[in-house]
Amino acid sequence: MVVGSRCAAMLKRLSFGQIYALLGVLLAISIVASAGLGANSFSLGQMARYVAQALGLAATPPVDQIQHNVFMLLRLPRVAMAGLTGAVLGVAGALMQGIFRNPIVEPGLVGTSAGAAFGAAFFIVLGGGVAAPVVSHLGGLGEPLLAFVFSFIATIIVYRISSSFGKVNVFTLLLGGIAINAICNAATGFLSLIATNPQARDITFWQLGSFTTADWHGATTVAVVFAICFAWVLRHGKSLNALMLGEDEAAYLGINPGRLIFVLLVINTIMVAVATATVGVIAFIGLVIPHVLRMLKSADYTFLLPGSALLGALSMEVIDIIARLIIMPAELPIGIITAIIGAPVFIWILLNQQRKGAAGFYG
Amino acid sequence: MADPHDNTKAAPAATAELHDIEYRVGDVHILKGINVRFRPHRFNVILGPNGAGKSSLLKISTGLAKPSSGRVTWAGRPLADYRTAELARSRAVLSQHVELAFAMPVREVVMMGRYPHYGRAPSAHDREIVERTLELVDMGHKREQTYSTLSGGEQQKVQLARVLAQIWSEDGGGEEKLLFLDEPTAGLDVHYQIHILDIARELQNHHCTVVAILHDLNIAMQYGNSFFMMSGGRLVHETDAADDIRRELIEEVYGVRAHRITDPETGQGIWRFSL
Repeated sequence: MVVGSRCAAMLKRLSFGQIYALLGVLLAISIVASAGLGANSFSLGQMARYVAQALGLAATPPVDQIQHNVFMLLRLPRVAMAGLTGAVLGVAGALMQGIFRNPIVEPGLVGTSAGAAFGAAFFIVLGGGVAAPVVSHLGGLGEPLLAFVFSFIATIIVYRISSSFGKVNVFTLLLGGIAINAICNAATGFLSLIATNPQARDITFWQLGSFTTADWHGATTVAVVFAICFAWVLRHGKSLNALMLGEDEAAYLGINPGRLIFVLLVINTIMVAVATATVGVIAFIGLVIPHVLRMLKSADYTFLLPGSALLGALSMEVIDIIARLIIMPAELPIGIITAIIGAPVFIWILLNQQRKGAAGFYG
Repeated sequence: MADPHDNTKAAPAATAELHDIEYRVGDVHILKGINVRFRPHRFNVILGPNGAGKSSLLKISTGLAKPSSGRVTWAGRPLADYRTAELARSRAVLSQHVELAFAMPVREVVMMGRYPHYGRAPSAHDREIVERTLELVDMGHKREQTYSTLSGGEQQKVQLARVLAQIWSEDGGGEEKLLFLDEPTAGLDVHYQIHILDIARELQNHHCTVVAILHDLNIAMQYGNSFFMMSGGRLVHETDAADDIRRELIEEVYGVRAHRITDPETGQGIWRFSL
């Protein structure tokens, strides 16, 4: 305990830049570890050789072609996907907590993820059948697009239910989130019921989250979408801070709160929908990551947004390693691990909130 | 300290004016034919019972709400012509009570007042202004403390420091500023009430026009220079002298019986009320 509190005190003294650097180094280590560990493990030398060959730096053809392919086509995209998903969910959590002005919000809670999963399931099950005339000419964009549309509808409904007169009510927020999640999950469940077999298996993946199907195409898509959205979001750190004061106070500081909230909800939903359409619903990461950063250092969004991207990526790499190692050679779905870790944290935050009268519970 | 009523040396003053303001929300007609010219570099007080339309008048004066018809001008220029960022650098609003759901140190909350003035990172000048406004409200020693752990009165002083930082200009800069106060002392004990209003009153010597909604008539008359009495969405009385607010008006507007006694020390009138 003493060591822990001493560590915390030390972190408090570090500047934002130093914390980014620290998280960056840990992330790099976790990426290497995640690339090497698993049912199929690779030594540092092997990994260096494969990467060098892929980059055309080593001319000699690989002697162990199968191992090489496993590493380059299965392991590496998976590592990239895990890191990117963690970054997306971390940033999305911080963003949504800023928009809702409440630390219990995250994509899994307010229907963003469940809506995206329903949209993706809709595309998979009905995209080739009943809805084909509408959906087919969207091509490869169909799945993320439908995920985005339903994700956005679900999120905006919960936002409207929970906010009135510029304030967000915790109780209607929670209840609205429960209701929207229930509707989306029921609809997704119905789709998996009427789906023919291989499709149904895909849908089950979404509801628990998994990186086993990660490939370079998916990882590249998520990377591009995340990079664009993140660059946009980073400009709004100050505005999110001002929004903490309330919508009117933010407006007096020269911010248009209505437009800010709308734009950020759209960007946030795009990121989450694309990630969810690719790897499924991974709950609680978006909740825990910003919370940890607030306790360690600061609630300032100019710090939380980049910090959540780094810590989110780092955490997801670690969780993915655990998912691969814990019941080797089989794997646990990611969502199971994040729920086991995240749900108690969620309850703890709620209890804190209740004790301190629904406001100022980080003091 | 200069005599607050000596206004002759001032630069061309920023007069906030409301012309023929009508304001409806749904079927409710909240403001009816309001014409107001707030006195520049004075402490303007908006009075009136609950539901008279004071807060709506303030929202329209600050540019937060748009009137259904009529126009608001500031220094002769329509408020609608100002860009929001430009407006944020010259007028600030202190509301009743601001709670923060996240732990922010006092210093960071006050720095929010400087947001309209800088891009990515605050300058040394911004930091200096934050320190000076914190000292001004006597909260410098708590600059690193978490806002939500402060008492209500301390929180309000921090918010005052924030709005002062927002419209801060060095003396002699001559930039016209507007400070709006929406029941700034609601729920505060008498020490904080006096402290906050003393600081606000001092601002009129610094090219600042103050417009305040105050509920306590005696406090209002102690601090105000100009008075605007509202009732039922209309402006029913306007005067530059507290003595000009007559007993009949108070009794009619607030639905109370009122009588005035004289403070033997200052000679000022003090109102007492009963039903």
